[in-house]
Amino acid sequence: MNIQHLNPVIDFFLREGVPFDTVVLLLMLPIIATFIALLRQVVGVKAFGVYTPLIVTFAFLATNGVKYGIAIFVTILLVGMLSRLLLKSLRLLYLPRVAIMLTIVAIAILFMLTIGGGLRRTGLASVSIFPILIMITLVEKFITVQIEKGDRVAFMLAAETLIISILGFYIASWPLLINFIITYPWIVILTVPLNLLIGKWTGLRITEYVRFREIIKNM
Amino acid sequence: MRQTDRMFCRILSVFDFFRKSRKILGMNSRNLEFIRPFNRKRAKRIADDKLLCKRILKKNNISVPGLIAKICSYQDLDNFDWQKLPASFVLKPNRGFGGEGIIVVYGKKKGRDDAWIKADRSLVTIDDLKNHVRNIIDGSFSLSGIHDTAFFEERLQLLKLFKPYAYKGIPDIRIIVFNKIPVMAMLRLPTRESSGKANLQQGAVGVGIDMATGTTTSAVVGKSKLIEYVPGTRLLLSGLKLPYWKDMLRLAVDAQSVSGLGFLGADIAIDKEKGPVILELNARPGLSIQIANLSGLKERLEKIRSLKIKTRERGVRVGMDLFGGEIEEELEEISGKKVIGTVEKVKLIGKEGKEIEVEARIDTGAGISAIDKNLAISLGYREAVRIWEDFHLDQVLSEEEIRELSKNETWKELEKHPDIVGVAKTFSSHGATYRAEISIPIIIDKMNMTSKMSIANRDGLKYPLLIGRRDLKNFLIDTSK
Repeated sequence: MNIQHLNPVIDFFLREGVPFDTVVLLLMLPIIATFIALLRQVVGVKAFGVYTPLIVTFAFLATNGVKYGIAIFVTILLVGMLSRLLLKSLRLLYLPRVAIMLTIVAIAILFMLTIGGGLRRTGLASVSIFPILIMITLVEKFITVQIEKGDRVAFMLAAETLIISILGFYIASWPLLINFIITYPWIVILTVPLNLLIGKWTGLRITEYVRFREIIKNM
Repeated sequence: MRQTDRMFCRILSVFDFFRKSRKILGMNSRNLEFIRPFNRKRAKRIADDKLLCKRILKKNNISVPGLIAKICSYQDLDNFDWQKLPASFVLKPNRGFGGEGIIVVYGKKKGRDDAWIKADRSLVTIDDLKNHVRNIIDGSFSLSGIHDTAFFEERLQLLKLFKPYAYKGIPDIRIIVFNKIPVMAMLRLPTRESSGKANLQQGAVGVGIDMATGTTTSAVVGKSKLIEYVPGTRLLLSGLKLPYWKDMLRLAVDAQSVSGLGFLGADIAIDKEKGPVILELNARPGLSIQIANLSGLKERLEKIRSLKIKTRERGVRVGMDLFGGEIEEELEEISGKKVIGTVEKVKLIGKEGKEIEVEARIDTGAGISAIDKNLAISLGYREAVRIWEDFHLDQVLSEEEIRELSKNETWKELEKHPDIVGVAKTFSSHGATYRAEISIPIIIDKMNMTSKMSIANRDGLKYPLLIGRRDLKNFLIDTSK
């Protein structure tokens, strides 16, 4: 990173002892959140709300390389889904059921990390615990959607969340953007008027043009 | 040059596409412009709480499925008297959504007092029910898993009319009401894919409804796939006339005034004995109803946004008039007369029951209907036509000749044949004719009657049949048809 371009404000943060990565990540957060809001309201990619793709994006940033993050994400959801199928016939109450599912997922992840270590994929084995924990909490979200809207929708939303998170990861680790932010940190404030605009947007979403094409054709 | 033309056309069609798309209600607009300002928090609470909704509707004399019992807590569950449940009932979670967590029971298992039979013929015991109720109380089926209440409701009975259309469950009718006016409606049919649930997201079929007549139009299954037949059959989805149509519209408008939901999706089912009842109210009605109707909601909502509607009847009337495709049926209702066009398909019934359908010219300028001789022959009136020709009546005559015929009492000769029921003299700009009349049963727009028609030579005329005033007493003629 080119230190000469540092904005005095950023410089102040750093001198007060806030780590550089933390500053960048915190300033990146509104940009990623705005990006997700834009995808939702204007494009029509739903995902699991704003929070989930945002948190997964940062979990990806905290793992050593996005591929391990994706591997963990997919494993967690697949194992979660399978265990739900297994537990369905037992007809358990909700919380104990989720607790058992989390147990199965935790053990599965532990195995995965061990196998990763065994295959000399040290990057996988050394992924820190917090991104993993964050992603494990996704299981409950996923199950809720599965109950509310059915398997297919839950699966679609999970895929959309994954895609948004990967895009978010690349945006947040884009050197040009990082440079830009530390040079002009006030740019982050611009997300507010942009969100005001998105928040009042009443036009059709891009996906809705596809969804309603038959009506337009028949008008 | 041609290339620029083509380009211009393409630009125009893109422009057209966006112009048309503005008539459609999207998620953003629904939330921001309709749900937010018109559905207040208190009203939404009513829609999300089925028991509260049921109580409020019932208090206002709006028909709902009867409540049998409810279980609010484990303590209630322990004290519950299972023997007081009737032979058939429905068990529902109070805050359930999308038809999840519902158990429908059709009857008691013979010889057992602790088991019932479900829709798929499998058994359900008191223990099964207890477990299910526990799940409901723990919030397994409610939004965000909060504590919930289970309740038993009387089971609605399927209308015979719907039997071939619905797979296991009961179809329901979703009516969107805005500003006291029913705006759009859809019939939802449970299918095998939706496992008997009338929920579009789960694979039920949505069928659009003409607001004026309550007749089904186009249909959609899944996200946006248009279909014509009930899945797996050759049963046409369009053209089904729903009973109690106006009653259902009234019910939906009433439900809006009572609930205070400005933008409401009312779900109505028809019970064999009770007639239409409100199943539930929806504060966030889905948008697929537009695809089922192949029509945009936004255009309709904007049309009525500024109207001041005082009474329910007025609202229903406006909805039917504005958003119905065919108003003529109403006109028929008012006048008791059918509306037909200037050219209409008419069915003639000849001798020995032979039926011929032809297009006829509807002509209020003529008194007596006229039939072409060839058509008369094919209906079995060969002899009558022959006699008519023998007397040279197929030609245009002068007034003297007519007078001559009258003097000779030709009509007596003609009427000797049983098929000829009368004789008519006509004078027109072309000259005069002396016509023999035959009596033929005809059907115009499903109305049966017997017409006395004169045989004529309509060679070279477009329609072999002309219907005159004498046969049009029960019709109104719409010249634009």
